[in-house]
Amino acid sequence: MMEVADSHAQPAGFIRRYVFSTDHKVIAKQYLLLSLTMALIGGFTSYLIRWQLAWPETDIPGWGPIGPDNYNAIITMHGTVMVFFVAMPLLLGAFGNYLIPLMIGANDMAFPRLNMMSFWTLFTASVVLTISMFVPGGPAAAGWTSYAPLSDNPIYTGVTWGQNLWILAVALEFGSFLMGGINFLTTTLNMRAPGMTFSRLPLLVWMETTAAVVFLLSVGPLIGGALMLLMDRTLGTSFFRADGGGDPLLWEHLFWFFGHPEVYVVALPGFGIMLEVMPVFARKPIFGYRPMIWSTIAAGLLSFVVWAHHMFVSGMDPRLATPFSVTTILISVPFAILVFAMIATVWRGAIVLSTPMLFALGGLATFIIGGVTGIFLGSASTDIFLHGTYFVVAHFHYTLFPVTFFGGFAGLYFWFPKMFGRMMNETLGKIHFFFTFVCFNFVFIPLFLAGLKGNPRRIYETSSYDFLKPVQHIHVIATIAAIGLLIGQLPFIVNFFYSMMRGEKAVANPWQANTLEWTTDSPPPHENFRTMPIVYRDPYEYSVPGAPSDWIPQNEPPEPIYPISAAAD
Amino acid sequence: MKSNELTAESLDRSSIIIWMWLVGLLGAGMMVFTLPIPRIPTLLLIFGIAGFKATLVLRDYMHLKGEKMLIYAIALTPLLLAIALALVLIPDIVFRR
Amino acid sequence: MQVGYETALSPSGKLGVWWFIASEIMVFGCLIGLYVLFRVAHGGWNDQASHVNWRLGAINTLVLVTSSLTMILAFNAVRIERRQRAARFLLVTVLLGFTFLGIKSVEYTHELGEGFTPASGMFWSFYYIMTGLHGFHVLGGIILNLTLYITAVRGTLWSGNKSSRVEFAGLYWHFVDVVWIFLFPLLYLA
Repeated sequence: MMEVADSHAQPAGFIRRYVFSTDHKVIAKQYLLLSLTMALIGGFTSYLIRWQLAWPETDIPGWGPIGPDNYNAIITMHGTVMVFFVAMPLLLGAFGNYLIPLMIGANDMAFPRLNMMSFWTLFTASVVLTISMFVPGGPAAAGWTSYAPLSDNPIYTGVTWGQNLWILAVALEFGSFLMGGINFLTTTLNMRAPGMTFSRLPLLVWMETTAAVVFLLSVGPLIGGALMLLMDRTLGTSFFRADGGGDPLLWEHLFWFFGHPEVYVVALPGFGIMLEVMPVFARKPIFGYRPMIWSTIAAGLLSFVVWAHHMFVSGMDPRLATPFSVTTILISVPFAILVFAMIATVWRGAIVLSTPMLFALGGLATFIIGGVTGIFLGSASTDIFLHGTYFVVAHFHYTLFPVTFFGGFAGLYFWFPKMFGRMMNETLGKIHFFFTFVCFNFVFIPLFLAGLKGNPRRIYETSSYDFLKPVQHIHVIATIAAIGLLIGQLPFIVNFFYSMMRGEKAVANPWQANTLEWTTDSPPPHENFRTMPIVYRDPYEYSVPGAPSDWIPQNEPPEPIYPISAAAD
Repeated sequence: MKSNELTAESLDRSSIIIWMWLVGLLGAGMMVFTLPIPRIPTLLLIFGIAGFKATLVLRDYMHLKGEKMLIYAIALTPLLLAIALALVLIPDIVFRR
Repeated sequence: MQVGYETALSPSGKLGVWWFIASEIMVFGCLIGLYVLFRVAHGGWNDQASHVNWRLGAINTLVLVTSSLTMILAFNAVRIERRQRAARFLLVTVLLGFTFLGIKSVEYTHELGEGFTPASGMFWSFYYIMTGLHGFHVLGGIILNLTLYITAVRGTLWSGNKSSRVEFAGLYWHFVDVVWIFLFPLLYLA
């Protein structure tokens, strides 16, 4: 029995249209707004952290003094907000929701009301997290990883309500993306337009779908673990307490069993965005479409068996070190394939360095550094030196930042015309890119060096350690660059809001791109497509030899055109 | 609505038969539990019975019997993954200290 | 009304419920796996485990299994458009669900009264988290089935293809039953 999404007429009334909407395009913009707002909080915490590390004896302007107790709370909020409330809502909630139905030729997601509920669940989660920052005892202070026993017993951090609310907020976030993931998967499987076979799906759709599967399968054990942590904290159980028969290490296993796949849940859509932008601005097809799909699936599968590389020095059974080192090194292969295929895609292309392309290329370049440095961490022997140092911090910022922010900005500049019907300002965009790219590298390259010199992470200052005196100037450089990075986001904020209201009106396909979202108006009507598109082609037919133009949309019929009977029932 | 009458009976008949199997297996499990059988065979029998009951529900009530491969894959993958997780945790939980 | 999709692989509602069940299998599978490993590693916990009431557990198993039957009978009735019959069986399923929760509450009250709280030992911690989470899922299923019953009686369930929701709710309900089929021997009989 075929299910079809009911096409609702556009609802009347502000609340039904813009607040409690079931239209995936509106919901996507809600996710976008939420993620950008939370990014302000995440960015502010990074300012606090960096200032504290550079000039620990001073008060932070606009905040006050930071000591060891509130430093831990600040880094916890930074990590939690950035991963769960910026990266996930931006890359999956916003781009996934907006683009999946449009790219497959559907008029909405499979479960529009579930979609609405997923956003409001995440909204509730962010309210809970925000409230947790103001309760007595302050917010959670055990890191975004919330290791036991630090997180397990309030006497260690002095935080009571804050940590409990953190658990609740994260659990709600999990629920939100479970709902979203079910929607993404069912929509992609069931609602593709005629002719949109799996091998004609744009890579972003493959990436979002794989991410949804990985998330769905990895989050379960941590939901159990979060409940166990809450019970330890409130009911006196001892799941993670050795003196009661439990095991603190169990928390790490449960956390990272989810936590590692989670970073690929974030990385794959980020890559997907770059992969949509690159062929358009190189006027070249994707190189290695099928190998990239197999690599994506392989990376998704392997992501489940690498997690203990976060635990090499945790005291876990040492016999686990070698197998997990092997799998971790192995997972670099599919990612290398993806990276090489991206390079090959733009190689010798007629490259247009538009803002989206700059961000996509910049994201690729910085991710390569992140990926390569991951090899040192994935091998147990070198990880013993580097675990818990700034080398790790620099590594994961060189992976997460590129996919979230370079990928995210590439996507925003690229799809802004489609979403808001107006063009963004290219000059401001290029300024934004320049500041972001240069400053980002100046923040985090020095941190690799600090880590190699043994600078531990998650400490609120280095000046009391003699062996760290040589790295103090590194922290100053990184902080100055970080402030530049934050200020450099201003052109984007100005550009984003100004263009939304006064930007030049956008045509349906300003970039002359092939995928289905560009065949409809900018912005699309409520039902997305006035007539159901019929797909005849792959998504990346750019510069096809002998073709009249250097781009051919997916719904362009093949030559010669035979009369097609009307879309059948 | 004669054909409806027939269909109702036959549809329900197979469902009720499954239920009777389930109840019977429950009874068998209770018998095994209460009889003085040594521990390991008892446990094997009880969990074997549970597995059989679960299979009946999955196959007949959840219609896995007639379903496409995709649904099987969706049902089976997490089970294997959960088992894999438990296996990897054995060194740390069972052999610790 | 958009028609003409690339062949839908399976009705959307069914796919959606199965994906949801997949993530739930991970939740319960992991908890069960941990319970087994911890129990084997820490000497069996037989002294703690002996205080659960296996008779009530067995009755509850019977209740839940029967509710699975009534759920499928409701679905069978939907398939042949016997609306009143379907509604009746949905109601019975809801009532059996409440019975299950009622018996569980009796057990909890007795156990807590005897001083067996979640903090009383690792067995009890696992017992409460597993049965508690399961009970929470039973409650969710009850609410779902009750909603379907109300829409069946009101008539709104029978418009369009909304009646297929009975099948999807049934899948969820049977899954909750399957989890209990394993929890019962694990917690009560082992």
